[in-house]
Amino acid sequence: MKRVDVVAITPLLAFLVLFLVYPMLHAIGMAFTDGTAGQFPSLENFRSLWRDRLFWSAVLGNIVLPVCSVVVELLLGLALALLLTQQFRGRRALRAIVILPFAIPEIVFLTIMRYAFAPRGYVNAALLGVGGAPIDWLRPGSALAYATVVAADAWHVTPVVFLLLLAALTAIPEDIGEAAKLDGAGGWARFRHITLPLLQPAIVAAVLLRGLDALRMFSTPLVLTGVEGVPVLSSYAYHQWSDYGDDGAAAAAAVLLALLSLFLSAPLLRRRVGAWESVR
Amino acid sequence: VRAAIPWRARNHARNRGGELEGELRQIDYVRGAIAIALCGLAGCTSDNTLTFAAALLPGELSVYRAVVDDFERREGIKVDIVAQQYADIRRALAAEAIAGSGSLDLVELDVYSLPLAVQDVAVLRDDEVGDPLDELSAAAVRAGRLDGLRFLPHRLSWQALIYNHAVLGKPPETWEEVLAVARAHPQQIGFKAALYEGLTCDVLPFVWSAGGSGESFADAGAHEAFRFFAQLAPYLHAQSATFKESTIAEAMARGELLLHLNWPFVMSLYASQGLAPGTIRSAPLPHAPSGAAPATVLGGGYLAIPRKAPQRQKALRLTRFLLSRTTQLRFNRELGWFSPRVDIADDNGSPLLSGFEAMRDRIESRPERADYPHLSRLWQRAFRAVVFEHADPGEALRKAQRDLQG
Repeated sequence: MKRVDVVAITPLLAFLVLFLVYPMLHAIGMAFTDGTAGQFPSLENFRSLWRDRLFWSAVLGNIVLPVCSVVVELLLGLALALLLTQQFRGRRALRAIVILPFAIPEIVFLTIMRYAFAPRGYVNAALLGVGGAPIDWLRPGSALAYATVVAADAWHVTPVVFLLLLAALTAIPEDIGEAAKLDGAGGWARFRHITLPLLQPAIVAAVLLRGLDALRMFSTPLVLTGVEGVPVLSSYAYHQWSDYGDDGAAAAAAVLLALLSLFLSAPLLRRRVGAWESVR
Repeated sequence: VRAAIPWRARNHARNRGGELEGELRQIDYVRGAIAIALCGLAGCTSDNTLTFAAALLPGELSVYRAVVDDFERREGIKVDIVAQQYADIRRALAAEAIAGSGSLDLVELDVYSLPLAVQDVAVLRDDEVGDPLDELSAAAVRAGRLDGLRFLPHRLSWQALIYNHAVLGKPPETWEEVLAVARAHPQQIGFKAALYEGLTCDVLPFVWSAGGSGESFADAGAHEAFRFFAQLAPYLHAQSATFKESTIAEAMARGELLLHLNWPFVMSLYASQGLAPGTIRSAPLPHAPSGAAPATVLGGGYLAIPRKAPQRQKALRLTRFLLSRTTQLRFNRELGWFSPRVDIADDNGSPLLSGFEAMRDRIESRPERADYPHLSRLWQRAFRAVVFEHADPGEALRKAQRDLQG
């Protein structure tokens, strides 16, 4: 490496060390320090997590929510992308409308959602208006609360998946589909044997991008249901830090979240790297 | 930087011969500018500026600032007020204690965090505090004596029953009446039952009211209170499990709740929304069937001087000013704060806080023991086990007692 290269990357390296490596090492140190006895290394913080039922709910939430969110977002994003590659009037306007939720600032969107799904919120008012019964959408710990969080998250983030898939769809040469049509392939067969295989790299990219992001899900469950309603590891860590002032337990939960993210994303990353290698 | 610049200047001047004097003068200017810039970046304060971290809401800051302006004029000492949340103040205090030096001269801490901050603040002698100490509520001062006098009550706060006057007409006065309201209006009574200190503040008044100590899960008072919680459980608002001060207040404003316990700030909130005192009012807590008069948990802010405070004597002068009758009267009248001074009546003519005023003589401190945070969590878990997991009250309390002793 040339000297000029070293000089050029030094600010970036310094930034990474100061704001990423050092805080990460500090957090790992805190996770392995017994705050009461001041002892290092110690597994006391992890033992206290092990005994806490809310922690296990958070672990479960951190698996269930990302999986459900990514599946819903992928299906919705794909359906919208397929629909909006068709030629029809108002297609451009509809594309803009589909992207709109992603442009809304997160806290604004979440506040709207909270007011919408509260027991006396807009959704139940609409249900009552059409003669239905109100539903407890955000009942803490209920399957419906999980589903509401997934739906709210999907509404906000599906545009990202949609854009990725739309770009990939528009890049598929039309003549392949037309040739298959001439050979008598129906719509489903063309989708299954032509569109889907050609979309696969984009789908993997979307799953990777959204999957990693969903593992860090924090504000949606926290704002909609509180820590106890639909717990995830990041909101659990926040709860330990904010409600109990237990920095060690919070750091331990954060370390476990990082490990879980690495563990769950490794197969996807491996697949992605494999795809890059094959392209090269 | 200060050391490096003259060295560089000397070398530079030596190399270039005769321009030494002019070069050094230029370097001095540069050094001065850098020192000022560094001082500004580091938030340096002069010997005549006190740094005071207090948990003030944006709406309170301007009034508080105007009060402190009087101190600045009178004493000739500038006060830099840093408005932060209690948790952030406690963290800053702890960080400065670990660092061995700091810039905070005076801090305001939540009564809950006092045991956690004992090691980080200085012990005060009674004679240093002077006159205000004699006029402060003895119970409130007692809560600040942790291994010596370390914390002085700045403002007091406690909970009362917040009820929907428009629907209920009059507030329930006994536990039996609370149950009657619950049965008549299911899902419209809420507890702040998220896992946090606020839940303990909701639980302890019932335990105390039933004659319990709050320090044991085995006494009759605890068992009576938890049997009551079990009876109430089917009628509680489902989101009680996640409610905190602000979310439960929001639910009440939306009309989802008829009753809950909360701190005085919510009444200002409801007044600003046009809901109080017409629709929503405050009332004393209800009586237990077999217990003493209902008690409520002491809350509020306490002043403390950090162990490493740069200007302890000046901080003491500010403390005396803040606790003086004139200043406390202004806080009471202009901010609606309850004063820890016994010579200031709380009745400022506002019907908003009548329920709180009725509870003034029934304030209890949380158990003063080193393992209070652990004890508090056990109360929270026992409540949630009984109310949300339908555990038997006796069994939940026995488990909590075992955990406390283990």
